[in-house]
Amino acid sequence: MAQPPVSLRDEFGIALSNLADAATGIGTPTIRLGVTGLSRAGKTIFITALVHALLTGARLPGFAPLAEGRLIGARLAEPPDPSIPRFQFEQHLEALTGPEPHWPESTRRISQLRVDLKFQSKKRLRGALGPTLLHLDLVDYPGEWLLDLPLLFLNFAEWSESALKLARLPSRLHIAERFLTALAQANTGAEATEPAAEALAARFTQYLRQAREDEAALSALPPGRFLLPGDLEGSPALTFAPLPPPAGPVKRDSLHAMLERRYEAYKEVVIRPFFRDHFARLDRQVVLVDTIRALNAGPAAVRDLEGALGDILACFRQGENSALGWLFNRRIDKVLFAATKADHIHSSSHDRLEGVMNRLVAGATKRARFAGAETKSVALAAVRATREGMADGHEVIVGTPMPGEQLAGVRYDGKTEVALFPGDLPSAPDRVMDETRPIALNFLKFQPPGRLERLADGSVVLPHIRLDRALDYLIGDKLR
Amino acid sequence: MSAPFAKPVTDKTAEPEVLRSPRVFTPGDTTGAGETVSALTEAAPPETAEQVLARPLSGKRHWLMRLALGAIGILISLSLGLWVDHLIRDLMVTAPWLGWIALAVAAALLIVLGLIGMREARSLGRLRTLDALRVRAEKALATDRPQEGRAVTEMLLKVYAHRPDLARAREQIATDRAQLFDGSEHVRLGERLLMAPLDARARALTAASARRVALVTTVSPRALVDIGFVIYESVRLGSDIARLYGARPGFTGTLRILGAIVQHLAVTGGLVLTDGVMEQLVGQGLAAKLSARLGEGVVNGLMTVRVGIAAMRVVRPLPYSTVKSPMVKDFVTELVKVLDSPRS
Repeated sequence: MAQPPVSLRDEFGIALSNLADAATGIGTPTIRLGVTGLSRAGKTIFITALVHALLTGARLPGFAPLAEGRLIGARLAEPPDPSIPRFQFEQHLEALTGPEPHWPESTRRISQLRVDLKFQSKKRLRGALGPTLLHLDLVDYPGEWLLDLPLLFLNFAEWSESALKLARLPSRLHIAERFLTALAQANTGAEATEPAAEALAARFTQYLRQAREDEAALSALPPGRFLLPGDLEGSPALTFAPLPPPAGPVKRDSLHAMLERRYEAYKEVVIRPFFRDHFARLDRQVVLVDTIRALNAGPAAVRDLEGALGDILACFRQGENSALGWLFNRRIDKVLFAATKADHIHSSSHDRLEGVMNRLVAGATKRARFAGAETKSVALAAVRATREGMADGHEVIVGTPMPGEQLAGVRYDGKTEVALFPGDLPSAPDRVMDETRPIALNFLKFQPPGRLERLADGSVVLPHIRLDRALDYLIGDKLR
Repeated sequence: MSAPFAKPVTDKTAEPEVLRSPRVFTPGDTTGAGETVSALTEAAPPETAEQVLARPLSGKRHWLMRLALGAIGILISLSLGLWVDHLIRDLMVTAPWLGWIALAVAAALLIVLGLIGMREARSLGRLRTLDALRVRAEKALATDRPQEGRAVTEMLLKVYAHRPDLARAREQIATDRAQLFDGSEHVRLGERLLMAPLDARARALTAASARRVALVTTVSPRALVDIGFVIYESVRLGSDIARLYGARPGFTGTLRILGAIVQHLAVTGGLVLTDGVMEQLVGQGLAAKLSARLGEGVVNGLMTVRVGIAAMRVVRPLPYSTVKSPMVKDFVTELVKVLDSPRS
């Protein structure tokens, strides 16, 4: 049976927090921008580029408040929640723009950032009061944790069934073998002992870590804290594993009962607070979809991504904000679906890339629209690592591939610049899921852009693709 | 009765799509590995009725009409030539030096006429460019194709290349357009940076003109004087706004613009209902209660405002998309303000 993602008590807490926000927000309104994306979708880079662009206020021609001269400025403010680490904006920016540019390392823990935006309102009443201040709150977190959200809907038996089904897939059997043999040997009806539970959990964790190496599998990865435990390493909530359904009645002190309790505890103390604190009270949402990586890995990965996104996006509260309900019940009223890494493909193929991404999030789009939220899709690159050109009648992108990237038997050292034609995307998006007719596509990962343009005040300009359009859609109307 | 039948229909979409496979080129054989993009090779889509309507300035006449006009023109030129020829011959007979002077004057006249003709042709060409630009911009907004958008900003930069007041905006467009990938974004960029300052000045021109008309109507002793003044102001406002947006119309150009403005007023007259109510209220209701002349003055002023707005709509090279299109009611406060203190 499907369970609601939050309990009644949480619901009450969320309503109270919203009310408190509304009360304190009368002076300075806050926008919570939910940056949603699976691991390696580019959340950290998106946040870094977005904040940097707002701070420098340069090269955002499509961001209306800036283009119309109403945005006075932006600055980093004190983070709202003292218990969460601050987003390391400066370090990430340094990584991208330093003397040896590299992509920031993958995120291992949650962090937050608040940006204060000062603008002059176009509205007569608000404009008469002088410049308005607005807080923009952003949260960064490991994408693996996002995969946990669908677990809120599943009980232990349901989750075990789906997890074991995935582990027994022929394509995964070689990595799951050791876990499955351990599971076959375990006597789940016997009295629970800590070493037995730990042994099973260790094998399960090992299997999950190996599955993560496999690019095609995303949906098999939850529970996400098994991969990135954060400060929960070794805690009882992380020592469980999926079990086959019990043969007879389950005794209270059996291993099966204990693992089931721990699964529920995991949901209770790990997933639910994470969801409640960071996702249940969002105003705007951007869903970053790494379409390029899935396309690179083939039809199976594309299908898998579609399934994972559909499950995750079902957890969010989208819909229209009513005039009074807004006090207690904030909803996401605008969702932007972004196909990231659009710089890995020539701009003439951007609409096809967008088409593929739209196909992947079709279910989520429909659901959001039905709930009353506005949606839009865009192909973007928060940091543009390539240039464009023509070679031999092919639209190519020019950039420096990451060391170790391979194409046509050549291995790149991370220094040579090449012109790449990654292959044509199909005009019918469904074809990327068709396993019988695979498409020849090969995207390479590129180094961050070198030789960056600098403004008069010395700050660098990060090139991007449609970041301004995304920004305008997400927060532009709040800056009127 | 014919028997039922089934025939295969050739379906183009059923053909397998040819997808090119990935390739790597060594840096040497890239042509223009910068921001360059190959030229637009697509065939232009057939014109829709709206696009045809959107070109009021450079309307083509029917060929029969053109033939008739051409014939009349040739006849008139011939008769003029004959007259000049006779004149010079007669003068030569009377006194040769008078004849030579007349010949020199005739030659000078011919040269000057030629120059004027060239200027007029150039001004008409500019009007045509602005029209083409608007059509292009509308297409870019609708299709969102990057090539269209790039063409629009390119043309905008060319049209305003010699304007000292827009130097900074041009610079900004030139740097920012490299970051844009969508046709509509290009148009919006051009509108925000180039059109917005021009719009503000066009508004100021319209408001000033409307004030003058209102004032003259209120104080003028005869109705004929205000009619004359309204026409004079309308013509001046129309050509001023056209010059502001880069048309610099000559005589025929001004005539064309005026024709388009009249046409525009005729078409939209019935559409601006909300504005109409405002006019009624301010002109006939409130002001007329104070004095009949004042009421007429306000009505004439608002009429001039409409001429100004029509002129903006007709000559503005980009459609209104991010900037709000001007409305009569925006000008009412200006008008009333001036009637309070008739200084300007």
